[in-house]
Amino acid sequence: MHIMEGYLPIQWCIIWYVISFIVVAYGIYQIKKIVDETPESKALLAVSGAFMFILSSLKLPSVTGSCSHPCGNGLGAALFGPAVTAVLATIVLLFQAILLAHGGLTSLGANIFSMGIVGPFVGWIIYKAFTKANVSSTIAIFFAAFFADLLTYVATSFQLALAFPAPTFSAALVSFLTVFAVTQVPLAIGEGILTVIIWDRLLAYKPKLLAKLNALSPNEA
Amino acid sequence: MKFDMDYIAHHNELSEFNPYIKLFITIITLVVTLVLDNLYFDVIIFVIMSVVILTIAKINYKSYLKFLSLPMAFLVITCLFLLFFFGKGQVIYETGLWGIVVTEGSLHYCVYTFMRVMGCLPCLGFLALTTPIAKVLHCLGTLKVPKIVIEIGLLMYNTIFIFLNEIDTMQKAQETRLGYHSYTTSFKSLGALASTIFLRSLDKSETLQFALDSRGYSGELPVYEPKKED
Repeated sequence: MHIMEGYLPIQWCIIWYVISFIVVAYGIYQIKKIVDETPESKALLAVSGAFMFILSSLKLPSVTGSCSHPCGNGLGAALFGPAVTAVLATIVLLFQAILLAHGGLTSLGANIFSMGIVGPFVGWIIYKAFTKANVSSTIAIFFAAFFADLLTYVATSFQLALAFPAPTFSAALVSFLTVFAVTQVPLAIGEGILTVIIWDRLLAYKPKLLAKLNALSPNEA
Repeated sequence: MKFDMDYIAHHNELSEFNPYIKLFITIITLVVTLVLDNLYFDVIIFVIMSVVILTIAKINYKSYLKFLSLPMAFLVITCLFLLFFFGKGQVIYETGLWGIVVTEGSLHYCVYTFMRVMGCLPCLGFLALTTPIAKVLHCLGTLKVPKIVIEIGLLMYNTIFIFLNEIDTMQKAQETRLGYHSYTTSFKSLGALASTIFLRSLDKSETLQFALDSRGYSGELPVYEPKKED
């Protein structure tokens, strides 16, 4: 559930575009550096982006029966770091708008901010904190995915409350949080579990790759 | 089919039309609709863009309705939400339930947001339904979007469709083995599916890289632009 085309008034579209632009520009700089060092990582990045897109087109079995999908941004952030994930999320969101009518072009900046910047950044911090504390990476990835998904929707609530501050900003924030964030908790747990299953497989089949990406806690590496 | 929008974008009367003009029209109409934020203009732009999509691009009205209906559920729910919980100003209507009321301010929000989205959707549809993604990316490339982003985008677009076929096969195989029988098994199946796709995707990225390298890939994919038929 991204903010749809035309939902935000023009001034907020511009503000979120500007904020997202700065972060994405930094992400592009990072990607350029990575690609210059190891040219073969370009295909890996592209395929990971495609994986994010595919993951968001899979339907998560949800309790309420509503259509919901995993964001995949927690996994991306744990593997590649938040800046690179922001760039991948930008392309994914553009594709979703044009291929699936999911999200939109004018609200692209706002969606990048919530799904591509806030979510991955929080997920990445949590993942790094857990692995630094030598917690097993499976537990770390659960919390990273859980909070990345949840915070994506908290950020969306903030954006909507800023755009529609009635009667007051805080009252609007509370209403939007109840609708988006509280209902999202079971879905975030679902995404956490799904990410753990994926991570387990990765750990079993490609431990060397994870070690190379520097994504494991010290005692596992 | 989930991705028939891509098929439609390749098979309509406007898909060979200059993509720069299409991108330009889309952005201008979107910005003007947002800036004016005027109910009459929203209706006018909705009608104009719908006519363009249906008669000039000759897109099947069923596909167009489907495109419009995709975000509709979300739109209706959020607009009702705006209507009942964002009171400001004079009370117009009392529901009598938990003191929930409709006020002038909330009605204004609801109507204006709904109409704005309705005005903007066909503008997005004009681009999404008539222009293949590769052309949009090509346009963005000449508009100074960094080359690396365009390249990753193009490679991603290629890979998405390969994955979709594989997912389709795997999901059918899982379903025939009762993989989505209960809540726990569907989680297990979905996890297995996603992780298998990821592992496959790693192999694929390696193969892709070898294939590109062996054809002299130096960081740019030159695309053949066919000349327009007069």
